[in-house]
Amino acid sequence: MLELFVRYPDLFSLLLLLTLGYTAGTIAEKRHYRSIRRREAELVRMSVVTAEGSFPPGKVRRSFLVSGSAVISIDYFKRLLAILRNIFGGRVKSYESLVDRARREAVLRMKEEARKKGAGMIINMRLETAVIGRNANRKKSIGSVEAIAYGTAIVFNR
Amino acid sequence: MKFTPRLPAENVNVSKTHPLVEFAWLVGGLVLLCLLVFGGLGLAVDLVVDHVSLPVQKQLGDMVLKRMPTKDEAALQKRLDALLAALPADSPLRRQSFRVLLAEIPEVNAVALPGNTIVVFAGLLREVTSENELAMVLAHELGHFAHRDHLRRLGRGLAVTVLAVMLFGENSDITDLVSSLFLPWQAGYSRRQESAADRFALELLVARYGHAAGATDLFARLVRQGGRRPPRLLASHPWPEQRIGQIEVWIATEQLPTGFRQPLGADLRRLAAAVSLEPESVSSSLADGTRH
Repeated sequence: MLELFVRYPDLFSLLLLLTLGYTAGTIAEKRHYRSIRRREAELVRMSVVTAEGSFPPGKVRRSFLVSGSAVISIDYFKRLLAILRNIFGGRVKSYESLVDRARREAVLRMKEEARKKGAGMIINMRLETAVIGRNANRKKSIGSVEAIAYGTAIVFNR
Repeated sequence: MKFTPRLPAENVNVSKTHPLVEFAWLVGGLVLLCLLVFGGLGLAVDLVVDHVSLPVQKQLGDMVLKRMPTKDEAALQKRLDALLAALPADSPLRRQSFRVLLAEIPEVNAVALPGNTIVVFAGLLREVTSENELAMVLAHELGHFAHRDHLRRLGRGLAVTVLAVMLFGENSDITDLVSSLFLPWQAGYSRRQESAADRFALELLVARYGHAAGATDLFARLVRQGGRRPPRLLASHPWPEQRIGQIEVWIATEQLPTGFRQPLGADLRRLAAAVSLEPESVSSSLADGTRH
């Protein structure tokens, strides 16, 4: 066993990184999804629409920009999975959950900001994603995705 | 339009496949692909190797020599010529001319380069104590020429690297992964080559001196000095102990006679003494250019 380890150090470090990436990545993702679902349930009454919206005069007291952004990084396992996908083609499933988490987290943060400032709803919401650390498939570079959500928060007159 | 707040029932944006299942499929596919491509490539190289012309071989060899300071030494060339004269009359090596060069590198090593060139490192020359020992090393390198190993290895290494870079990009993890999967196999392949070259060398040694004395001396001394294992973990040569064992088995089963070791000639001793005076720092810094 030890001899194997000495003979193929590269393979073992790869396996170690894979296991670490998979375990840590899966735990982090599960925890994040739990938190996302809990907060989404809490904030479900804060309505967010993509429509521009128009209100009768006197109804709106204040309106302002709110935004939320989240950056999610890939783990080693997901990266390897994606690299393998690049060879064969198809849906890069390992990245789907990353983008999903980033988007939902960004929307949640935007909603949290709006609630803190006393807004009742957000109109004209837009979502954008950006890549941080391009060339995620290259060595010595970290790939992560940023999602940013922004919209107009409305504070209504009582 | 009335807005009713509610949570989505199901998330359609994330695929449900378990990542480990996906991983297994992809790795399986990759391994299959590698086996097909590299297996085919290995065969192709083996086919091409027999048709590489001597000028092309010379060019390849010169590319390596350019990075290694070497010089002609009549004393070494004399020993090589004596060995070549002992080759059996039907050996294909008979029709070719070989040269041996001395490189001022402190490593205990010798290499066979394309273009019928053998490079003996100064470290090896300082290490040998008898003519028979030196003859064994030279004969071993001649064995590589006889089996065209130097070209085969170069060809395979080149083919794999070029292909991996072509498929996966120069700098990517997957190129490393493929190399690390492939190198152990490649190392095993070259260990077999080394063993075949040892076999060739033993026969030539017996043809030259009439006995097999000195065949294992150098390896035995290296083992005794101990400590310094090959620097590369994926050693391309078998462990010296294994080589000694294998050669001794051959000597025993074929009941080869052993005789007196011929001491190193005065010209070689002078040469060894001269190179050992070379400042170590110069030669090692030059050697770093060729090693990695």
